[in-house]
Amino acid sequence: MSQLDWIVLAVTLLGMVAYGLYKGRASRDLDGYFLSNRMVPWYMVLLGIMGTQASAVTFLSAPGQAYTDGMRFVQYYFGLPLAMVVLCITFVPVFHRLKVYTAYEYLETRFDLKTRTLTSFLFLLQRGLSTGISISAPSIILSSLLGWNLFWTNVFMGGLLIIYTVTGGAKAVAYTQQLQMIIIFTGMFLAGYIVVHRLPGGVGLSEALHIGGRAGKLNIITTGFEGKGGGFDWNDKYNLISGVIGGFFLALSYFGTDQSQVGRYLTARSLSESRVGLLLNGLVKVPMQFLILLVGILVLSFYQFNKEPIFFNQSQLEKLAHSKYKDSLVIVTRAYDALEATKVRDAAAGVPGAAGGGAVVGGSKAEVTQDGTAGSVVVGSGAGTQVQVGATQGVAAVEAEKAGYKATIKRWLKDTGGDNNDTNYIFLRFVTDYLPKGLVGLLIAVIFLAAWGSIAATLNSLSSCTIIDFHKRFARKPLTVEKEYQLSRLYTLFWGVFSVAVAQLANNLGNSLIEAVNVLGSLFYGVILGIFLVAFYRRRIGGTAVFISAVIVEIGVIVLNILSQKGIVPLSFLWFNVVGAVGVVMLSEVLQRLFGPQRLRGVR
Amino acid sequence: MDQPEDKVPVFKKWGHWYVLVIGFLLLCIVFFYFLTKHFS
Repeated sequence: MSQLDWIVLAVTLLGMVAYGLYKGRASRDLDGYFLSNRMVPWYMVLLGIMGTQASAVTFLSAPGQAYTDGMRFVQYYFGLPLAMVVLCITFVPVFHRLKVYTAYEYLETRFDLKTRTLTSFLFLLQRGLSTGISISAPSIILSSLLGWNLFWTNVFMGGLLIIYTVTGGAKAVAYTQQLQMIIIFTGMFLAGYIVVHRLPGGVGLSEALHIGGRAGKLNIITTGFEGKGGGFDWNDKYNLISGVIGGFFLALSYFGTDQSQVGRYLTARSLSESRVGLLLNGLVKVPMQFLILLVGILVLSFYQFNKEPIFFNQSQLEKLAHSKYKDSLVIVTRAYDALEATKVRDAAAGVPGAAGGGAVVGGSKAEVTQDGTAGSVVVGSGAGTQVQVGATQGVAAVEAEKAGYKATIKRWLKDTGGDNNDTNYIFLRFVTDYLPKGLVGLLIAVIFLAAWGSIAATLNSLSSCTIIDFHKRFARKPLTVEKEYQLSRLYTLFWGVFSVAVAQLANNLGNSLIEAVNVLGSLFYGVILGIFLVAFYRRRIGGTAVFISAVIVEIGVIVLNILSQKGIVPLSFLWFNVVGAVGVVMLSEVLQRLFGPQRLRGVR
Repeated sequence: MDQPEDKVPVFKKWGHWYVLVIGFLLLCIVFFYFLTKHFS
């Protein structure tokens, strides 16, 4: 990074901390600290909801996802608008009427203390761990790409925001999220604009989309029935059906029962403003995600006219250069670079179809027919390895050849214990390689701010559950208002330090961290949602039946995950939400019938 | 049931908001479908 980039990064981050400290002054009680005295307008609720959901990984990973797998990832969000509607009809009015601090308080009113405590505990467990991973995942990417020290990257990623979150509570979170979202949108818009601007003359947005389409990446709508047998692929993560059904359950659980989100819309001035914030989130989320993915397609088009790295995570290539594959790596890289040079030259010369397929371009071919350990690879033929240079092929053949080289690199990385998934490095590598000075610093700041917005809201919610659902609920003596306030700040600090500590421990998990966050959430969200669905819609079911059902189904979902990981049950993690929610509703219904009629209690 | 302080902004009923959100989602899906077809 240049000096200007460092200045932009430092000013943005320190400015955000100062802004949070300045704006975060609220009354010294629980209402002020956790709910901003319920004075937040709808547009800040909206930005808060969006800022809490959109983590750093959203902006790092989504363009890379579009680049490698296409735009079908957008279908993951199709259930979200439906969930917003259900929330506004059912969940939000009840939370507002009861004036709760946490969603789980309602469960004691409706069921009993043990169900409230279990649900709040599941939330603390899941969120406490996943927040650490949310810090670690972008830190690993930044430290790997920019050569930063991972320990200190974790500390800055998860540490600086603790200052204003501890001091200002929900009000500081709301104001900083508002500013963060403005900076993030500005940064992403500028990145997208510059990609289009840097495409060759005569190649605009439409042509870039055609290039993406020819590469098969504009697969925005898929049904899940495209497989060989013609049946539905339950292991397919992103398609219309899993997006609408699985995404609906996930979004309903996340926005309706996860305190990090519930805490955002409970800060609203009125029920009406909570509803408007949520419904507008339902309107803008799908187009927003579409646009973020579109940046990935634009980057893909850009690399049709510019040299595309053989592997986007340079630090892994450097590790490979010191492994037993070092000699083979030189040969493969040289052959790949020759293909890329030809592609760039032909594209610049206007060879028809050079970008995206259809015409013949020159190319070279390197074929490594064995794993090529050190000393066994020679140019020409012999020693079981053959390299041929100078062949001319069609574009399809060239692309296949490039894919072969990339697959070889990934295989070698896997073989040497490295991280062979470079999806999350694609966008940031483009940023650091091609964006002008200053803007690189801004985009790095965007990654930090996206992480901060999400983590700050989570720390606030972890603290609110700890004090409201546990400390205050089980305290033998009533706490004074000042004592409650001071304890809330201490718990926020504790969860902040805990999350950074988890991030330091999670570092060696590598890129699988991002998947881990999603899977971890899906293990618990379904069961928690099931408990709330019973509370709202099955009024004849009591606390004991739902409590036992939740414990049994939670164990079942964890077993299902283990079977899925081992490949015994072919089921994508998104379906765990459905299994958990439906399982709790059905089992509690059966158990309640066994227990006999339950005396009605609670609120609707 | 709407609560007394729960005034509906822009529209007369919350139901209109819900139709807008779901209708817009359907519109997006149709738009994406045609984009997929057009550029495939």
